[in-house]
Order: sequence, then structure tokens, then C-alpha cells
Amino acid sequence: MRRQAAVRWRAAHQSLRTVIPALLVFWLVIPLTPLLLWAGASRWSGTSRLPQDLGLRGWQEALDAGMIAALARSGLLGAAVALIATPLGVMAGRALGWRLLRRPALPSVVLLGPVVLAPFAVAMGLDVVILRLGVPGEVAVVLVLSVFALPYTTFTMRATYLGLDPALEEQARVLGASSRQARRRVTLPAATTGLVTATGLAFLVGWSDYAVTLLIGGGQIVTAPMLIGSSAAGSGNDALTSTLALSASLPPLMALAVFTCAASRRRTAVHS
Amino acid sequence: MTQHPTSTHDLRAIRQLGGARLVAPAVLLIVAVTGTALVTVVATSLGLLPLVGQPRLSTDGFTTLAGDLQAATYESLLTAATATLLAAAIGFTIATVVVRAGRGVRLLVGLAVAVLTVPHLVGAAATGLLLSDVGLAQRWSGISAASWPELVGGRWPWATVLELAWKESAFVALVVISSVGRQYADLREVAAVLGAGPRAQWRRVLLPLSAPALASSSLIVFVYSLGTYEVARLLGRAYPEPLPVMAYRLFTDIDVAARPQAAATAVVATGLALLAAVMTLPLVRRLRADR
Repeated sequence: MRRQAAVRWRAAHQSLRTVIPALLVFWLVIPLTPLLLWAGASRWSGTSRLPQDLGLRGWQEALDAGMIAALARSGLLGAAVALIATPLGVMAGRALGWRLLRRPALPSVVLLGPVVLAPFAVAMGLDVVILRLGVPGEVAVVLVLSVFALPYTTFTMRATYLGLDPALEEQARVLGASSRQARRRVTLPAATTGLVTATGLAFLVGWSDYAVTLLIGGGQIVTAPMLIGSSAAGSGNDALTSTLALSASLPPLMALAVFTCAASRRRTAVHS
Repeated sequence: MTQHPTSTHDLRAIRQLGGARLVAPAVLLIVAVTGTALVTVVATSLGLLPLVGQPRLSTDGFTTLAGDLQAATYESLLTAATATLLAAAIGFTIATVVVRAGRGVRLLVGLAVAVLTVPHLVGAAATGLLLSDVGLAQRWSGISAASWPELVGGRWPWATVLELAWKESAFVALVVISSVGRQYADLREVAAVLGAGPRAQWRRVLLPLSAPALASSSLIVFVYSLGTYEVARLLGRAYPEPLPVMAYRLFTDIDVAARPQAAATAVVATGLALLAAVMTLPLVRRLRADR
């Protein structure tokens, strides 16, 4: 009797081990499915379960709406943010990770600070100052977003430097490398994964931003999120919205896939 | 050979000077940008920086729309708290499955990273297409549009909360996984040798080990949800709106007299986020010490 109960319990436990991961996969995937369906539908009216006509109407309309230029602008914005936030994050992360500061508490709080602040509040405050000083909107957007990317780059690099031994760099110095050579040839190659992660996160801050670009740019800087926002909020054109949303999600996903492949290949190369 | 006592001292001083130089650019940029912004927002909310007319110290920005401000604060807190609870619970479940090396681990981690790269705005647009009364869920469930619950733009911010919980659960999961990692595998073996069953391993080993990461990532999710504009803008109802949506609406109002009210809304949102951080950080520190 007891044995039967134990067997039943084990069977239930086994099925739970399959059901829970399946539910979690469902939770992560399901919100994105409407995008895939609508982006391939040229007609999907009423309440029918699947599109009546498949086609690329959404893609044609997205091209007409200036999708390519908007994606390029988003890419530039992401690259500019990464170009500022990554080197500054590497420097600060090195100081924090290798404990080069006598009192790291205050700098740490400042460097984490932007996480707590709402981007819209910062953008709103700067708007007046920018207008009075005549700073171009693009420059202001890049600066504000770099500030919001800095916690990510700094603390990714802090964790990376924590895992690296400063003695390696010192050995390179003893062997005759200049401090710059030692940093470039010894430490940075060992920190590649952290460096790529930090750059990717900073890029994503610029690439995905909506609120700061909208508030400071005043609708003049048309990035991909601007097109998605205006299409989703007012057009009722679900095919267009889905296509724009999908095309803003695919480039980072593809970059991620490439990097993951390269990293796993390098790992197997090291092991063999 | 004896080492001169001052040489290590000098070396440390040089290293510390180098450290200060290394953090200075990042710290200065953050202080300059956020400092200017916050001072301006507070000054505007108190009537000291009007677009037109004479500056005059007053709390009108806060009091004129006190009722709306209160409703928006409540809406924001409700949305952020629910989204945080959901994200923490689901994120921790994902992390549990992954660190226990359950089925589909690689797929789950890959999906979580993928979800993290998707912009919130895309998530919001997709959630709208999924949950609205002519959305995919309604079409596939066969429930008529008339009797479909008001998930998007309804009385309760369901869609906003679900979108935030969706994306942030991936964030919580990845933070917990990366903080627990190898340590859990070792400790779990020890616990198993000492006779702890799976449930005891979860409660006595995994939970305390991941508590600091879970608490700090939950704090980040909470303050993010308080400050996000686009998700509630696309998925929320017109009234009461959360603080960021209210602030943006007042900020872009043609009546420039609404500027102090917009700034006051931003001040309230920032104050709430800072308060949450100040209240939670001692807890995070204690959990880390207990670990």
C-alpha cells in the first residue's frame, strides 16, 4: 500500500519535472507568437484563428514607413552609447573589481544610481537645460542613455575583473611589457566575454530606448522604437506593428546567436 | 633583503590614485547628467523655473492635481508591486529548474537571454496583440470578443503587469543563475550526502544562497516598473494612469502652466524609487552577510 503511494508520488514528481519546464518555455515564448503570425499575414480579419491570406504586406508597408533608415538610426544610437559607456565601464569596473579604491562605497552608489532613477524624469529635467544651452538633441539623447548604460557596463566589468588575477598583468610588466601593452595583450583578451556582454548591454540600452528619445528628441529623432510606438498606439495596423517590432528584435538576437556560437566553438577549441 | 616600509605604502597610494582616476570619468558623467536633471526637475516642480513669467516658490505643482497624483501613485505602486512579485516568483522557478539541471536547461537559458534582448516596447506591442479583445488569445480560445475580459486598457492593469513580469522574470532568472552557479552544485552534493531530500535542498541551500541576488534583482525590477513609460502607455487605460504616463501627458500639454505639475509627478516617481532602494538595501546587505 505504502509502496504503491510512493510509486504514485514518484510518477507525479516525474511528470512535474517535465510539466514545469514546459510551462516556463511556454511563458517565455507565447508573448512573441502574435508578432510572427501577424508579420506573415496580409489579411487576418474578424476572429478567425489563422490569417486568411499569407503575404508580406506588413513588410512592404514597413519599408514605406522608413524602417531601414529607422533601424540604422537605432543602430547608430546603440553604437554611440556603447562607445561611451563601455570604455568608462571598463575603467570603473577595473577599479572596483581589483579594489583599487580606498573607499569604494560612494563611487559604487553613484555608479549604481542610474538604475534607481526613471529615464523619463531625467530626460524631463534635462530638456529645459538642453534648450537653453542649445545642445543638439542627438548629443543629449546619447549622453543620457550612456548614463543609464553605465551601471550595466561597470558592474559587468567589475564581476569580470573580480575573476581575473592582477598578478598576470604584473608578470607581463616584469617581462618588459609597458603598462598599456600589459593591459591590451594580457588582461583584455582574458576579459573578452565580459567585454562583449558589457558592449551588448550598452548597445541594447540605446537600441531599445523609447522614452528618452521621445522626450528629448520631441519626435524629431525617428528610431525604430518611435515607428513601433506610433504604429502600435494609433494605427490599428497589426501587420505593420508586428513587422516593425520583429525587425527591431531580430538584429540583437542574431548578434547574440553569432556570439554564442563563436564562444562555444572557442571553448571546444580550448578543450581539445 | 628587507623591504623598505614606505615602498609598499607608496605602491598602495599609487594604486589608489590610479583607482580614483579610473572611476572619475564614469562618476563625473553620471553626477553631471543626473545631478543637473534632478535639480532642474525639483526646481521646476516648485515653480522656480517657469517657461514664461517670474519664478515664484510654490507647491502648486503638487497640490493642483493632488487627487490625480494620488491615484497615479497608487496605480504605479500596484503595477510595480504585482509585476515584481510575479517576475521574482517565475524568475526564481526558472533559475531553480536551470541550476538543478532539469529538463530543457539550455533551451530555457537561451530563451531567457533572448527575452532579455527584446525591447520592452516590442513586448508591449506583442502583449497587446496577444491579450486584446481581438487578440490571439481570444481568437484561439474561442471566447467571443464581447465576453473577453478587459485585459488591455481595463480596470485592472493586467496586460501591463504581465508584460513587465514576462520580460523581468527572464532578468531575475539570469541574475540568480549567474550568482548561484557552481557554488550550488558543490553545496547541493554535500547536502545530499548529509541526507537532505530535494525539498530540503531547495529550502536550506538554494533559497538562502540565491536570496541576495533575488532581493537585489527584485528591487531593480520594482524601480524599473515604477519608472517605465512605454508599457503602460500602450497597454494601460486612460485614467488613472501611472506616474510616468501622467508626467509625459502634462509635460507635452500645450498649457505651459502644466510643466510644474509634470515635474512634480516626476519628483514623486523618483522619490518612491529612492525610498524603495533605501528600504531594501539593508535587507540585501543582511542577506549577503547571512550567505
